[in-house]
Amino acid sequence: MTKIMNNNRRDFIKVSGALAGASAIAGCANITSSASAGPKVVIVGGGYGGATAAKYIKMWAPNVDVTVVERNTSFVSCPISNLVLGGSQTMAAITMSYDTLQKKYGVKVVRGEASAIDTDKKVVRLASGDALPYDRVILSPGVDLMYEALPGLNNADAQAKYLHAWKAGSQTLALRKQLEDMPDGGVFAISIPEAPYRCPPGPYERACQVADYFKKTKPKSKVLILDANMDVTSKPGLFKKAWAEMYAGMVEYRPQSKLLDVDTKTSTAKLEFGDEKVNVLNALPPMKAGAIANPFITANKRWCEINWLTYEAKNVPGVHLLGDALQIAPLMPKSAHMANNHGKTCAAAVVALLAGEDVNDSPTLNNTCYSFVSAEKVVHVASIHKYDTKDKTMRTVPGSGGISSSANELEAAYAMTWAKNIWADTLA
Amino acid sequence: MNTNTRYLRHVLSSAAVLFCVNVSIAIAQAPATPAASAAPPAAKPAQTAPAASVAPVAPPAPTFAPSNLTPKGVRSMAATCSACHGTNGVSVGGSLAGLAGLNKDYFVLQMKNFKEGKRDATLMHQIAKGYNEAEINAMADFFATQKR
Repeated sequence: MTKIMNNNRRDFIKVSGALAGASAIAGCANITSSASAGPKVVIVGGGYGGATAAKYIKMWAPNVDVTVVERNTSFVSCPISNLVLGGSQTMAAITMSYDTLQKKYGVKVVRGEASAIDTDKKVVRLASGDALPYDRVILSPGVDLMYEALPGLNNADAQAKYLHAWKAGSQTLALRKQLEDMPDGGVFAISIPEAPYRCPPGPYERACQVADYFKKTKPKSKVLILDANMDVTSKPGLFKKAWAEMYAGMVEYRPQSKLLDVDTKTSTAKLEFGDEKVNVLNALPPMKAGAIANPFITANKRWCEINWLTYEAKNVPGVHLLGDALQIAPLMPKSAHMANNHGKTCAAAVVALLAGEDVNDSPTLNNTCYSFVSAEKVVHVASIHKYDTKDKTMRTVPGSGGISSSANELEAAYAMTWAKNIWADTLA
Repeated sequence: MNTNTRYLRHVLSSAAVLFCVNVSIAIAQAPATPAASAAPPAAKPAQTAPAASVAPVAPPAPTFAPSNLTPKGVRSMAATCSACHGTNGVSVGGSLAGLAGLNKDYFVLQMKNFKEGKRDATLMHQIAKGYNEAEINAMADFFATQKR
C-alpha cells in the first residue's frame, strides 16, 4: 500500500493498475490498460452529476483515467419515478445500466461504498478496504435524509414502513404497493421539509400523480400535502390550478405544516398544530449533502460551498463537488438537469486543470424541470445561469427563463423526450 | 462607513450564520435578493429560494463575465443544450429537435425567432433569451460541424 502514497506517478500507476484489475467490472480491461498512462480522476457517485462528469471527461480528454465509485448496480432515475407511483410508467423504463459508460467511453465503474477521502495521500478509501489513488477527486454524493429530525422514524423498522421514495429504486415500488393496498376512502399524506431539498417541484408532482391514480381507481380517497414551507416552493400557481381543477375535493394543500414526528403505533403525523391519522404517510425528512462530503460541508451544517469556476470545495482545493450536495446559487434548483450541467462544467474544469490550462471563466448552466400534473399533462420551469464576477456565484440571466402558461399535453411529449435525451447525455 | 453600521453588519452576519436555516424558511418564497450593494462581498446570500420557487424574476443587474467564445468555451456552452437535445446535438428522443448538422443560418434565425416570439414555443422562447447574439452565432457554428 505504501506505493499508493508515493508521489512518483509511475510507481502508483503500477499499483493502481493492479487495483483496477481487481475491482473493475469485466469488459473494460483493454481500455483500462491503454488509459492508465494518464492522470487519474475518481468520481464518487454515479448519478446525474457524477456519471455526466465521467462521460464528459472521457469525451473531452480520453487520456484521463476515470473511475466512478457507485453503490448501486444500475442507474435508477428520480425524474419520471413519480409516474411509476401514478401507474403510467414502470421501473424498467427508469432503470439503466452503466455498460455504455464503460464500453463506449472507457469509464471504470467500481461497485462499492466510498468511506473516506484522504486528501493528504490523495486516495479514496472504500468500505471494502480498497483505496483508489487520484490526481483529482469529484464527489457527487446526492443527499442524505436527516431522520434525526423525525425521532419516531429514526430506526430501520419505522423507515421500512414510512417510506421516502426520494431516491428512486426499491422504495418507489414499495410506495406504489402501499398505494395499491390502501382502501378506497383512505388518506395518503406527503410531508415536505423546509427548502432547500432535492427536487423542489417533486413533492407537488407526486401529490398530483397519487391523485391521478386515486381518481381512476379509488375516488373516495384523499391526498394531504403537509408542507413545512410557507407556500408551494415551485410553480405554485400551476400546481394549485391542477389541484383545484383536476382533483377538486381530493387534494388538500396545507402550507406551514411542518411534520415534527410520526407516531408509528397509530400511524399519526404529528404536526405543530394538531395531528393527522393517515393510511399511507410518505415522510420526506430534511436533507443534507451525502455523508462522504461531510468534511466539505460549510453552509448551515448541511451543504457544500464551491468555487463556481472550478467546482472545488471552498475549504479544500483539489476536491470537486457537484449536484444536490451543493449550497445552491440564487434561484438554482437541486435538480437532475442542474446536476447534469454541473457535471459538464466540472468536467471541463478538471480537464483544464489536469492539462495546466486556464479554466473557463464564463460558465453557463441551464435548467428545465418538467412536472407531470397527471399522466397526460405537464408543466415546466426553466432558467439560465451565468457566472457573476462580482458576486462570484451563478446568477440567472435577466429576462430569461419562465414557466408553462398552463398545463398541457404537448409538453408531456417533450418531457419524455427530455428524459430520453438526458439519460443518454448522462450515460450513453 | 460609520462604526454603528459596521457593528450592525457584524451582528447581522453573525445572526445570518446562526439562523440560516430559519432564514431560509422565511425567504423560501422570495426571489433571491442579493445583499445590498454596500454589503461586503463575504456576506453570501445565505439560503436562496429553490430556483423554481417562483417564475424566475429579474434580480438587480448582475455583473456577468464576458462570453467565452474560444473553442473550448463554445463547446462547454453548447453542452448546456445537450440535456434536452442530445450530446453534441444528436437527439435520441422523438419530439425534440436534434441540433447536430443544422445549417448555421437556420439555427441563428430560429433562435432569433424564439427570442422575438415569432416562432411558437412552450419553453424555447424562455431559454433563447438566456444567450446573446455572439453566443448564438458561436453555438450555430459548433452544431453545424457536428455529425448527426
